[in-house]
Amino acid sequence: MAKKSFKIRGNLAEALGDTVSSARNNAGELHVEIIPLRKIELDPDNPRDLALSFEDLYQGILKKDDSFGRKTAEQEALASLTKSIKEQGVINPIVVYKYNDQYRLIAGERRTLASILAEKADIPARVLTSRPDQLKLSLIQWIENIEREDLTLWERLRNLEKILNAYAEAKQKKATEISPTELGQLLGCSLQQGVNYRHVLNASDELRKHIQSGEIKNIEKAAFIAKSPATLQSTLTQACLNGSTLSELKKISRETPSINTKPGRHNAQPKINLGSTESTKVAKTIIHTVLEHESFKHLNDRFNSIRWDDHKSIAMAFRQLVKLLEQA
Amino acid sequence: MTKVIANATNKGGEGKTTMSIMLAEYAALVMGKNVLAIDLDPQANFSKYYLNLEYDPVYKGGKVPPLHPEYNPDEDVSWDGRSSIANIFYGEEVIPYPTGFKNIEILPAHSNKLQEAEAVTKNEVLEKVHLQLKRFVQLPEVQNEYDFIVIDTPPSKGPLTIAGIKACTDMVIPSQMEEDSIDGIYGMMQLWKQETYARPAENPINLAGILANRVREVSLHKNFFDQLKSLESTKDYVIDKKIKERVIYGELRVKEDRPKSVFELPQDHIARKECESVCKIIMKRIYNHG
Repeated sequence: MAKKSFKIRGNLAEALGDTVSSARNNAGELHVEIIPLRKIELDPDNPRDLALSFEDLYQGILKKDDSFGRKTAEQEALASLTKSIKEQGVINPIVVYKYNDQYRLIAGERRTLASILAEKADIPARVLTSRPDQLKLSLIQWIENIEREDLTLWERLRNLEKILNAYAEAKQKKATEISPTELGQLLGCSLQQGVNYRHVLNASDELRKHIQSGEIKNIEKAAFIAKSPATLQSTLTQACLNGSTLSELKKISRETPSINTKPGRHNAQPKINLGSTESTKVAKTIIHTVLEHESFKHLNDRFNSIRWDDHKSIAMAFRQLVKLLEQA
Repeated sequence: MTKVIANATNKGGEGKTTMSIMLAEYAALVMGKNVLAIDLDPQANFSKYYLNLEYDPVYKGGKVPPLHPEYNPDEDVSWDGRSSIANIFYGEEVIPYPTGFKNIEILPAHSNKLQEAEAVTKNEVLEKVHLQLKRFVQLPEVQNEYDFIVIDTPPSKGPLTIAGIKACTDMVIPSQMEEDSIDGIYGMMQLWKQETYARPAENPINLAGILANRVREVSLHKNFFDQLKSLESTKDYVIDKKIKERVIYGELRVKEDRPKSVFELPQDHIARKECESVCKIIMKRIYNHG
C-alpha cells in the first residue's frame, strides 16, 4: 500500500503568504503616537486656506491684525469640533512627519487647531519619518479631506489639481492628458466621479469663478456645464446660479439648437467628426479617391498593407490618413 | 531592555503553557536571567504549575491566587492578601509571588477577573485592556527588576491575547502539526500582522518562531512540518527543531511541593536535550532582534 501523504490546503498556504507579505510591506503604516501639540508646526511648502495660525490660538488674535475678522470667523467655525474634542478627544489621528525635533503637519489642521482650543496638551498622530513626495502628500490630504462635509467644491478642486500635477510630473505627461479612468484609480473613486472631476478641472474661467465663490457647489452640475458647448455655458451657468436642478440644466441644453462644430472642452481644439460607415466599400472609395489626388500620390506607399476585409485595419488607415492630411 | 515574550495561539492544547514554562525556566535556570511569569489565561494552568491556587468560593470552577507569603493581615488592612495580573485591568497594584525557583516570580491568573476583562466589548474599555499590560511591562520598576518576562495567553484572539501581543517584544506561536492547528497559526499571524502595522516601522514586533509541538513520527506531522519549512512565507519563522510528544512532559507538570524543571533532568536526558536545542534557537532569535 502506498504511504499516505498530506498537504496544506492551497488556499491556506496562499493566505499565509499574503499575510506575511502584507505585514512586511506595511510595517508601521498604522502606527499612532501621542505627540505634544506645542511641537507641531505647519509645513511651509504646503499652501493652506486658513488664515488662523497656532500663535493666534495660544496668544489670542490681536485686534490690530489685518485679518482679525476673518480669523475670528475661522475660530468660531471650529467651535463644534472643539466641543467634540473636549468631550471625546481626537478620534482620527492627524498625519505629521518628523522635521528636526518638531513635527510638520501633513493632514489635520482643523483637528490640531481645535485641540489647542480645547486646551489639550497632545494629540494622536501618525508619524512619518520623512516628508513624503508631493504625490503621496497630496493623496494623503485628499483622503483625509474626502469625508469632510465642510470642504467646498473649490477646495476639493484645488487639492485635486495638486494631485494631478504631481501625478503628471511622476508620469511625465501633461495634466490634461490624464484620463478619467486614471483619475478614478488614483483617487479611489468611481469612473463617473472621475469623469466629473475631469470635466470640472477643464472648466472655463467664468465657471471657475463661480465655483471659487461657492455659488456653484454641486459637482454634477459643474461638470455638466463644463462639458457643454462654449456657446451654451454662460446660459447654463446663469440658470444654475438661479437654482436650476441638474435635470433642468439638461433640458435647457437639449432645447438649445446646437452648432455642428462642437467646441468641446475648454482648452481642447474644436474637432470635426467625419462620421462612420459600416461599408468597407465606402471607406475604400474615400481613401483611394484622396490618394489618387495629385498632391497626395506620394503617400500611396504607406497604405498598401490595408486589409480591406478588416474594419479595424481600415479605421486605423483612415485615422492615419486624416493625420497626414492635417500635416500636409 | 527587558525582553517580553508572548506565547500565543487561538487554539487550545497547542502547548502555550508548556512553551511558557520552558522559556521561563531556560531563561532563569540556564541563562541566569531574572524572570517574571505572567498568566493571562483564565484557566490558570501556568499559575497552577508554580503556585497552589485556590478554588474561587464565588465563581465555582474558577481559580484565585493563594494568600501572598508576605501578606500580614494586621498590617495590610487595605489589601485582601491576593494579587493577580488581572488587577492591572482594574487599576490596582500587583505584587508578584515567589516560586520554587529563585529567579522566577509570577503574577498569577484570577479566573473570574480575567474572564471579565476578556468579555469587554465597549470600545473605550477595550482600548484600556489592550494597552494596560504594555504600560505595565514598560514601567521603569518592572524593567529594572526583570530581564525576561514570559506571558501565557488564553486560547483565543480576544482582548487578553491582544494585550499580550501588544505588550511583548517577541512572539512565539506553538502549534501541533495538524490541520486545525495550522489554521490556528494563520489566526495568530493575523494578530501579528495587525501589530506589525501598528508599531513603528523601525521597532517592529519580532515573530521569534513557530514551534512544532507534540510531534509524532507519523507522515501527517512530517508532511505538514516539511511544507511549513518550505513555504516562502513561513520557512524563516518555523523553528528547525521540534518538541516531540513525550510522557515526561506530562509527568513534569505533576508537582509535589515544588515543580521540577525539564532543565533539572540528567544532562543527557532526551527531553532536556530537545528543549535545550529549541530554546537555544528561540533565544538566539530573541536576543539578535532589536
